[in-house]
Amino acid sequence: MNGFWSIVLKEFMHLRRDRTSLVIVLVLPLIQMILFGYAINFDVRHIQAVVVDQDHSRESRDYLQRLHATQYLDFVANVQSSDQAADMLRRGQARVCITIPDGFARTELQGGNPQVGVQIDGSDSQVSVRATSAFQAPPAQLPAGTPQARMTVLYNPTARTATFMIPGLIAVILQIVTVALTAFSVVREKEMGTLEQLMVTPVGRLALMVGKLVPYAVLAICELGVILIASDVVFDVRCHGSVLALFILSIPFIVASLALGLLISTIAQTQGQALQFTQLTLLPSILLSGYISPRETMPGWLYTISSILPATHFIQATRGIIVRGAGFSDLIPQLLALTVISCVLLTASTLRFRKTIA
Amino acid sequence: MEVELSIDAKKLTRKFGDFTAVDAVDLEVKRGTIFGFLGPNGSGKSTCIRMLCGVLEPTSGSAIVNGFDVAKEPEKVKRSIGYMSQSFSLYRDLSPAENLRFFGGIYGLKGADLKRGIDRVSELVGLGPYMDRQSGQLSGGWKQRLALAAAMIHEPPLIFLDEPTAGIDPVARRSLWDLLFELAGQGKTLFVTTHYMDEAERCSQIAYIYLSKLMIHGTPAELKRLPEVTPAGTKRLSVATDDPPRALVALKRLDFVQDATMVESEVHLMVKDSVSAEQVHQALMSAASIDAREIRPIEPSLEDVFVTVTRNLANI
Repeated sequence: MNGFWSIVLKEFMHLRRDRTSLVIVLVLPLIQMILFGYAINFDVRHIQAVVVDQDHSRESRDYLQRLHATQYLDFVANVQSSDQAADMLRRGQARVCITIPDGFARTELQGGNPQVGVQIDGSDSQVSVRATSAFQAPPAQLPAGTPQARMTVLYNPTARTATFMIPGLIAVILQIVTVALTAFSVVREKEMGTLEQLMVTPVGRLALMVGKLVPYAVLAICELGVILIASDVVFDVRCHGSVLALFILSIPFIVASLALGLLISTIAQTQGQALQFTQLTLLPSILLSGYISPRETMPGWLYTISSILPATHFIQATRGIIVRGAGFSDLIPQLLALTVISCVLLTASTLRFRKTIA
Repeated sequence: MEVELSIDAKKLTRKFGDFTAVDAVDLEVKRGTIFGFLGPNGSGKSTCIRMLCGVLEPTSGSAIVNGFDVAKEPEKVKRSIGYMSQSFSLYRDLSPAENLRFFGGIYGLKGADLKRGIDRVSELVGLGPYMDRQSGQLSGGWKQRLALAAAMIHEPPLIFLDEPTAGIDPVARRSLWDLLFELAGQGKTLFVTTHYMDEAERCSQIAYIYLSKLMIHGTPAELKRLPEVTPAGTKRLSVATDDPPRALVALKRLDFVQDATMVESEVHLMVKDSVSAEQVHQALMSAASIDAREIRPIEPSLEDVFVTVTRNLANI
């Protein structure tokens, strides 16, 4: 044990000098704990539901009132036709559709068990399992005059984990690769001194930036293709909607990820730091985006944070297209959100990039 | 454009907040010369070069490089210069041929012009057999030759070389300097920074920057004759002995010796004019029983010049 204490002391001295590592060791776990603690919550409540009340009776309103009191369901809309309700499910605007048929009140008053149609979106298996149990709560032996829910789970009726996980995984993988590649490619030039060499040449700042991003954008789009084929061949998760729409929606997401990588590269001085920052940005994208745990369970402030993450909107889009067969027009809100986020990130990173390399 | 002066800087100044990194530096570099730019690390050399390259805007003052104003036309300045940094800053995973093609492309060379440019510079620095290796695998000397080739791909009349020979072996160093002389002979202007005195001796003009200010400039011979280097009433002597280290210690202790240092196994002294060689001989004999073989008057070396100028300033 020659020199043991000298080594121990020296390591502590390094730690004291290296503030960044110290912060990462002491503060990061705290952030992680809060994120995990709040974000991972499988006790799903407040599931968005759309109602088609064709009975318009006091009894039907009473029934809905009782459902609402369970706290499992939040009624987000009242529509006239089941077509409209189906549209909302496909778009991801509601997870559950409750159809109360004409004659509901009459059957109930006559002592029968009126039937209620319930359609559940199965693309998020945790939500669908919870929603199912919300309707199953009444005892099996129905007393007279109690409505009976006839449930249909749409899109992923068998609640396959792969069908639920793979579309989200596509977004996560795509983000990891693009953020890391961009951040590394710029930081490497910093470390090797080649950026300094480029600065004395007449190369334009914009040409440098866009020139560095385009190859990685192309790579990311190819990667998306590979992942889609792999998820079909290996996991039997087939794209039910338009593949073209998926690629179009992936463009603003990829741009946002590239911009995030560029932003990291302006802060990180070494590839080691770039790696740490990349992981830091990844954590919320995994925990808050709805990839693992439904966003419905999050407290308000966390929900707000989750809605500015590009991964949140892209996962909505991938689940929509792949699982629910949503079309391009169903995902206009996601496209808009992703476009706005990517523009903001790109502007911020461009400004910082121009400043740091000047 | 043919200009007599490759660099004409007047009161060139750069501040970073309260700190003045370069303070009113005047520089004139003639075409076709090798200009040595010296100074301790952190004295403002790099900041000065970055301004002259059009990368960093001066806070005040001006610099005309190859006829272009660095503040107003930085892009034209960049097109007209080559730059070779002290650490190898080309792409290590690319071959020399690929590196040259890339940098040629950056300067707008295409097709046959690009090919001619690559052939010209690779022949000039003798890269031929190494063109398709991996650049990162080349030895230090060859890396520097490749970097020089890349800096010349667009035929700039002025090339900045930041410590081009730091960390390379003596043979490679000599051959790199032979190449620099050849370039100067072809009319190129070379702006070189170095910490090696023998390299400074090879420059046609030298400027010495210290604490952000230009201290002295001129030819090596002019600098050695500067009055502040050998103040009035003093002279320099070289003492040859059989035991130089002990002689240095003994001579340093003598009260009439103002400065003593070891150069190539001889002790160089600075003493008052009135001190004779015989006096030094006797003092050394009685102090340390060392019989000096030869004591002769000498000119100050460039090292003496820089050390004295730096110390003079530190004493003020």
